[in-house]
Amino acid sequence: MSLDNYRAVFFIVFQHVLTSSYLSNMAEEEFTDINGNSISLDCHTHSAFCREFTVNSPKLSLRKVMVYTCFIWILAYAIFFFTENTAALTSAIIVTLVGMMVYIHFVKVDQETLLIIGSLGVQLSSAYASGRESTTFIEMNKLKDIVINEAVYMHSIIYYLCILIKDPADPDKVTSLVPLFQSSKPRLNCLVHVYRSCQEILAQTT
Amino acid sequence: MNRELKQREPSMALCCFWPLSLDSVWLHSVGLTYWPQKYWALAAPIYLLVTVATCIVLLFGVNLMNTAALGSVDNITDHYAQSQRVEEHQEGAILRLGDVSISELNHVFYLHQHES
Repeated sequence: MSLDNYRAVFFIVFQHVLTSSYLSNMAEEEFTDINGNSISLDCHTHSAFCREFTVNSPKLSLRKVMVYTCFIWILAYAIFFFTENTAALTSAIIVTLVGMMVYIHFVKVDQETLLIIGSLGVQLSSAYASGRESTTFIEMNKLKDIVINEAVYMHSIIYYLCILIKDPADPDKVTSLVPLFQSSKPRLNCLVHVYRSCQEILAQTT
Repeated sequence: MNRELKQREPSMALCCFWPLSLDSVWLHSVGLTYWPQKYWALAAPIYLLVTVATCIVLLFGVNLMNTAALGSVDNITDHYAQSQRVEEHQEGAILRLGDVSISELNHVFYLHQHES
């Protein structure tokens, strides 16, 4: 083979080694949440004791926004048509705008992240549709375990991942529970994936 | 003791026949003058049915309120389980009956590969 061929082969192998050493593993199987909407899970292994899991919910669809807005405005116009009162139109516009702003800033979560660093702690982060991010950090000495629990939610029983919090002074008693991925509520196949990864890290450090 | 044929009760007879009676003179002459308005002959059963229907809806609501939230420790344990004693395991003895901790359960279900 010529020198160019060797160079090409080496380059391809080198790329492969680079990507596999970064271990940025996009999940190939389809994950869904408890209602059947498809979500995606990204696992990044930053180092031997640091992993990050990101669950992406489907983004706000323009079609849904248009449908809701048209529905409310047509209703308001119908009320205006029969009552000849412009307050119906004004209030519909204000309700639509304020409702949209409150929804994308406080309700709609785009992605949730779990960053686990062995012997340091766990960071949970939620990114909302308006760009706002809310983050909490839990130290490792307060963290007893990360488990998959089943509980009654509305009319059904769901699996959810949660962190058992303990008081450092009393290591056997669970003082509280922090549920993870609350807005995206993934199903069991996704949770088992995250659980096994987290347990590998927790087993190293304790 | 089953009280069948409630129509035999005098109070039931009164409920059925009082609305049909007119404001007759002989009723007043006997001394029974303070009767409720005839409106209540219709209204009272309807109130009762609406109350029953509302209670059914409220029962669902109370059940939802009493279910523990996802972030509550009641989903894992309760004070009976926390006060159970953990005895030392003797060789060959049957283990004491008690709750298995959720961490152990998770190890068994999700960490060890099950084929079934």
